[in-house]
Amino acid sequence: MTLVQGLVVFVAFPLLTIAVILAFVRLVRGPSLPDRVVALDLIATLMIGIIAVYAIATDEPVLLDLAIVLALISFLGTVAFAYYIERRV
Amino acid sequence: MTEVVTGMLILVGAILMFLAGLGITRMPDLFLRMSATTKVATLGLGAVMLAVVIYFDDLVATSHAVATILFVFLSAPVAAHIIGRAAYFSKVPLWEGTVTDQLRGHYDIKTHQLESIEFPDLEQHLPDVEMRRFSLSATSPVAGQTLAQIDLRRRYDVTVLAIRRKAEVLSNPDGDEHLCPDDELIIMGLPEKLDKVGAVFR
Repeated sequence: MTLVQGLVVFVAFPLLTIAVILAFVRLVRGPSLPDRVVALDLIATLMIGIIAVYAIATDEPVLLDLAIVLALISFLGTVAFAYYIERRV
Repeated sequence: MTEVVTGMLILVGAILMFLAGLGITRMPDLFLRMSATTKVATLGLGAVMLAVVIYFDDLVATSHAVATILFVFLSAPVAAHIIGRAAYFSKVPLWEGTVTDQLRGHYDIKTHQLESIEFPDLEQHLPDVEMRRFSLSATSPVAGQTLAQIDLRRRYDVTVLAIRRKAEVLSNPDGDEHLCPDDELIIMGLPEKLDKVGAVFR
C-alpha cells in the first residue's frame, strides 16, 4: 500500500463517510422539502468524491465512469425536484 | 513528489467535503446550509478530481476527471439557484437572525417573476425620488392599524401611492384604510427614507 492509498483508506474514507452520515441526518430531519433535496444533492456529490478516492485506492480508473453518470443523474434529480416544489406553491 | 501532491489534494478535498457535511447539519436555515454544501462540497470534489488526474496520469482518467469537474462546476450553481428560488417561493423560513431580505417585495407572488418597479418618466422628471414595493408581514407592529395611525408621511417623509390586497388595487388610499397582513404597499419617497420605512412593515 502506497502513501496515497493509505491516506485514502485511513483519512479520506472516514471523513467522507461521516459527511454522508451528517447529510443523511439532515435528509431525515428536514424540516422542509428543499432541505431534503439539498441533502440528497450533497449526498450525491459526496458519493462522487467517494467513487473518485475509491478509484485511487483500488487503482481502477474505470470507476470514474460512474462518477460522471452520478453527477448527471443528481443534477437532473435536483432540477426535477425544484420544478416540482415551485409548481406546488 | 507526485505522491505528496496527490496526498495533499486528497486530504484537502476530503476535509472540505467533511465540512460540507458538518455545514448541512449545523447551519440554522436552508439558505445558509446551501451556501455550506454547494460551495464547499464542489471545491472539495474539484480537489479530489485533480488528485485523480495526477495519480493516474493517463488520457482516459484525465478526460473523465476533467469532464466531471467541468460538469459539477457548471451544474452545482444552477441547481443551487433553482432550488433556492423554489424554496424562497414556497416560503421556507429564514433564520431569525437574518438582517436583510433583499428579494422581499421584488417579485410577483402569482407569476414568480422577479421585478423592480420602474417608472421611466418619473425617473426623468424626479431623479431623486423612488418608488418601492413593500409587503406587510403578519408580525409587523402596524398590521391592523389605519394609515392615519401609522402616519408615514410625517414620521418617515414618504407617501403611500397604492395598496394591493390580493387581486384588488386601492389607489390613493385615505387615512381610514386599515392595513392587513400580506398587503403590498407602493410607497414613494427618497431612497434613504424608503430604507428606513422598510423596518415598519417587517
